[in-house]
Amino acid sequence: MEPTIGLLLALSFLVSLLALTFLIWAVSSRQMAFNQAQARTIFVAGEEGHADNPGISPNADDDTHHFDPARAGIDAISARPVTILLTTAVLWLVVGSIFGLTASLKLHWPDWLGDEAWLTFGRVRTIHLNIVIYGWSSLGLLGVVFWVAPRMFHTRLRHPHLAEVGALIWNLALLAAVFALATGWTDGEEWLEIPWQIDMLLAVASACFVLPLLRTAAARNVHHIYVTGWYWMAAICWFPVLFVIANLPGLFVGAQQATVNWWFAHNVLGLWLTPLGVGAGYYFIPKIIGKPIYSYSLSLLGFWALALFYSQVGIHHLIGGPVPTWVVTLSIVHSVMMFVPVITVAINQHVTVAQNMWAFKQSIALRFVSLGAICYTLASFQGSIEALRSINTVVHFTQYTVGHAHLGAYTFLSFTLFGAVYHMMPRITGCSWPWPRLIPVHFWLVVIGFTVYFVALSIGGIYQGLAMLDATRPFADSVILLKPYLESRSVGGALMTLGHFVFAAHFAAILLQRRPAAVSSAPMTQPVVAA
Amino acid sequence: MTDLRPSDDEFEPYEEDRGIPLPVSWIAIALALWGIVMLYHNNRSVMIGRSERSEAAKPQSRDVGAGGAGIFLARCATCHQPNGSGVAGAVPPLASSPFLKAKPEVVVQILLHGIDGPIRVGDDVFDGHMPSFASVLSDDDLAQVANHVRKGWGASQTISAAFVAGQRARFPDRGAWNGGSEIAATLDPTLPPQPAPRPDAGTGIDPAVAGLVQHGSGDAWACASCHGSQGQGRANVPRLAGLPAAYISAQLAAFASGSRRDDTMTVVARALSQNQRETVGNYYAGLRTPSTARPSLDGDLERGEILALQGDWKHGVPACFSCHGPSGFGVAPGFPALAAQHPAYTADQLAAWRGKVHRASPNDVMNMVANSLSDSDRRAVADFLATLPPVPAAHRQEPVHGRSVAR
Amino acid sequence: MNRILPLSILALAILALATLMLVVVPGMQINAQPATPGLQPYTAIQLRGRQTYVSMGCVYCHSQQPRSTDQGPDGERGWGRPAIASDYAYDSPHLLGTMRTGPDLSNIGARLPNQAWHLAHLYQPRSVSAWSIMPAYSFLFEVKERAAPGDVVVRIPNGRGPKHGVLVAKPEAIDLVAYLQSLDRTMVAPAHAERDDGYAKSER
Repeated sequence: MEPTIGLLLALSFLVSLLALTFLIWAVSSRQMAFNQAQARTIFVAGEEGHADNPGISPNADDDTHHFDPARAGIDAISARPVTILLTTAVLWLVVGSIFGLTASLKLHWPDWLGDEAWLTFGRVRTIHLNIVIYGWSSLGLLGVVFWVAPRMFHTRLRHPHLAEVGALIWNLALLAAVFALATGWTDGEEWLEIPWQIDMLLAVASACFVLPLLRTAAARNVHHIYVTGWYWMAAICWFPVLFVIANLPGLFVGAQQATVNWWFAHNVLGLWLTPLGVGAGYYFIPKIIGKPIYSYSLSLLGFWALALFYSQVGIHHLIGGPVPTWVVTLSIVHSVMMFVPVITVAINQHVTVAQNMWAFKQSIALRFVSLGAICYTLASFQGSIEALRSINTVVHFTQYTVGHAHLGAYTFLSFTLFGAVYHMMPRITGCSWPWPRLIPVHFWLVVIGFTVYFVALSIGGIYQGLAMLDATRPFADSVILLKPYLESRSVGGALMTLGHFVFAAHFAAILLQRRPAAVSSAPMTQPVVAA
Repeated sequence: MTDLRPSDDEFEPYEEDRGIPLPVSWIAIALALWGIVMLYHNNRSVMIGRSERSEAAKPQSRDVGAGGAGIFLARCATCHQPNGSGVAGAVPPLASSPFLKAKPEVVVQILLHGIDGPIRVGDDVFDGHMPSFASVLSDDDLAQVANHVRKGWGASQTISAAFVAGQRARFPDRGAWNGGSEIAATLDPTLPPQPAPRPDAGTGIDPAVAGLVQHGSGDAWACASCHGSQGQGRANVPRLAGLPAAYISAQLAAFASGSRRDDTMTVVARALSQNQRETVGNYYAGLRTPSTARPSLDGDLERGEILALQGDWKHGVPACFSCHGPSGFGVAPGFPALAAQHPAYTADQLAAWRGKVHRASPNDVMNMVANSLSDSDRRAVADFLATLPPVPAAHRQEPVHGRSVAR
Repeated sequence: MNRILPLSILALAILALATLMLVVVPGMQINAQPATPGLQPYTAIQLRGRQTYVSMGCVYCHSQQPRSTDQGPDGERGWGRPAIASDYAYDSPHLLGTMRTGPDLSNIGARLPNQAWHLAHLYQPRSVSAWSIMPAYSFLFEVKERAAPGDVVVRIPNGRGPKHGVLVAKPEAIDLVAYLQSLDRTMVAPAHAERDDGYAKSER
């Protein structure tokens, strides 16, 4: 194909730009009925202006309000599917962390646990990735979705049993996938390792989540759909399509397969986990503070810009590789354009927190969620810069990208989830956290652990990349210089894993705590800590 | 549907309908403009990439310019001199050489197979070491250069590429001509009397050496398992055929002691006795193998040629050939042949000198040279050296196994 | 933003545009190119070895996509000429990789064709390179009292082999090495090949 045609194709970027311009114009000139009042749909009467920090601080505000989701039976119906989703997610987090730590240790102790095929680095690492992405992050965020959505829509969850069936199939499929990967049965592409036969089960499971969310949204008792709802509904429509296309067997070969691979791998982050996480941030931050987000019209721009730009960034994983130049450049340009939606989200979320620092100090749940949101901003900025050819040539193929991946997939998603779980569990169980002092322990273990992890891999990765680009240094240098950084990463990873044990133990404790009465059977008489 | 928004208990005034902050719009516009420029530049990169690939795809990618004269200047004039006068006592003159006036197949056969033996031109006897150009020049190039030298200094009968092709097919497997007498006996008996050929040195290789080279022994992997059945090398595995024997055994000793770094060669060298190292050196020094090297690093061949022949004194780079011998054939015992070496190996070695990975150079000469070469210079000179014909081995020794060399 | 159907349709339309640009059109361009002249399809043994490469997760540390000389020294390291799309015509799953904890393997068959080396290195990488952090694949080998006819006996240098008996490569190891030996993309790239030329700069 002639290069000029490649140029024309690449300028399809203009389509996205036109859409963006239209949006900015529409928002600025009030073409859409859009106002700050709509940002308040997450509150029920009396909630606004009060911090919402249940089950942690003993002096929490326990006013009863005009409308109470618990008394209205909303929470009671969501409780069961959400408990299933969150419990399995936490279990996967523990298992996934153990696999992750094992993989990290094996990189500098290569002969440790080396006698079994299923314990070889290539498999342990793959099992870690699939468990934390499809087990912990996906299931955990789905738990958040099915807890928050009914509250946000002021109505009970529709088809709760379908969501439970989905959770069950999803978990069984993931369990099968872990055994498949351990025995070496894999489709062999990064992020798409799970055999497609098992993927079909996962696709069925993901389809089970579409209906409950959309039907609940359709039946809402509030006119406006809050921004969180857009992100979540879009994500829940995107994921099954993405997942099925990428896993169609026998359709793609060679270099094209690589483009499909990275189209999927980045979209599963950009169009599935990111909108779930950003949506959660958009709900929890104003909800915990008790004040609406800073600028509601910005959130509209942020949402559509994310959809337009994030969907086409995937090929930046193939910079310098055997795919047409224009598609690589297209992805680089879209990666850099991601600054636009990220800045809008950052303004909305961080300014809201910055104006209410008292809440940040008071609520550990907000601290987790807000830190997750900050890391989303940082990871996205880092990702945009990493996609530039001049930077990418150094850090591509190095451990730096592993640090970046964890800044996004760990601190953003997991911190948001930790905060959400700390916020939700007292409501779901009707009990306070049994050992509130463990929560800061968890917080500091993962924060310090991750800092060590990220700093080590970022610095080590840059040195590794510079060594590989230097013809006068043998390749061995890039391996030898990396070892202390890999060891530091294991220290950081061990602290994070320890933090997860603390979190999981605490989670188990609140779940198994003797309750005054079962939540699901007697919602109306359930004492509420705070609504 | 009812909007449950509390309308009456506002506790803090909010600015309603905050718009899009102006800086956000400016950032979006700036990024969009940058993106369009990036995409537009895309086109130029593709064009350059294509021209690089079409350069690399040319069969012999050295653009020698003006036909036979150009090839002569590039390939022959280093030794035979631009005016064909040769070098007294070392290189036979072409001007008024009886070999050029003889039948056309004589010059073509010499170009195809080279000479390794005594030869008389006029009143002088030379110890002939001419390389074979069969692997580095096409039939058409060979016809052009043969016509150029014959028209300049010999007969005027024109040689065609088809004729060269016929001559190439005539002795497909032979090595160099063993001096003038074999040429006279085989091709043209009308040539003036020629000195007696050198006794054949290479008949019968010690089966122990052959076993070592082809099958390895103990911890030593077979040399041929990486360097090829005829020491031709590949990628960054060096060509060994025709390197000085003492150089090879010295390198093996350096690998064994760790003064030259290579994990695999250290294992091999440590498994070999001093005697075995010398035998292996002798074996490869006598091996005659067509070149399988070709430029592969996008190097600028013209720049490479200047560096090899003249050096770049502005940057303190001496000509490669000033130490490694005319045409890069090497100077025993210390200077390895560079001609027909694989470019990835040559460039990697130069980079290693620069990175001070090697420590075995006399007076650190190579460190100084390599320090003065830029990245692109290393690739240029490595690619140029790959276009040269292989060194004519010091004495004849037939390879043990079949002759076909995979390219 | 209060209606679910338009939101879902627009969201899916944007995904469709992304799929068109990142999957369909590049795919048409790539598939229009025949396999690089000289590239051989894999044999049954090589495919079995490739399956082992896939199942052991070699791709997580080894790329198979040399960069251009304008971008990095891959060519000087002997990793091969810049990769082009048609080099992968027979590859499924593709094994381009995104990490170089170990060296690129696109041309490992050309630069390290030695079976005995590969077997020893797979059994214990540190027997060859003390600095290596590659896992040992000792479970692809077995220790026997004495070799049976047809067994491939492996010798491990530097005394890193088993203390007693002979070390024999299992078929998986032999097939894996056959696959590695088949990795040879040294054939000339056609000028109209597709690759990311974004780093190309004219030197002359």
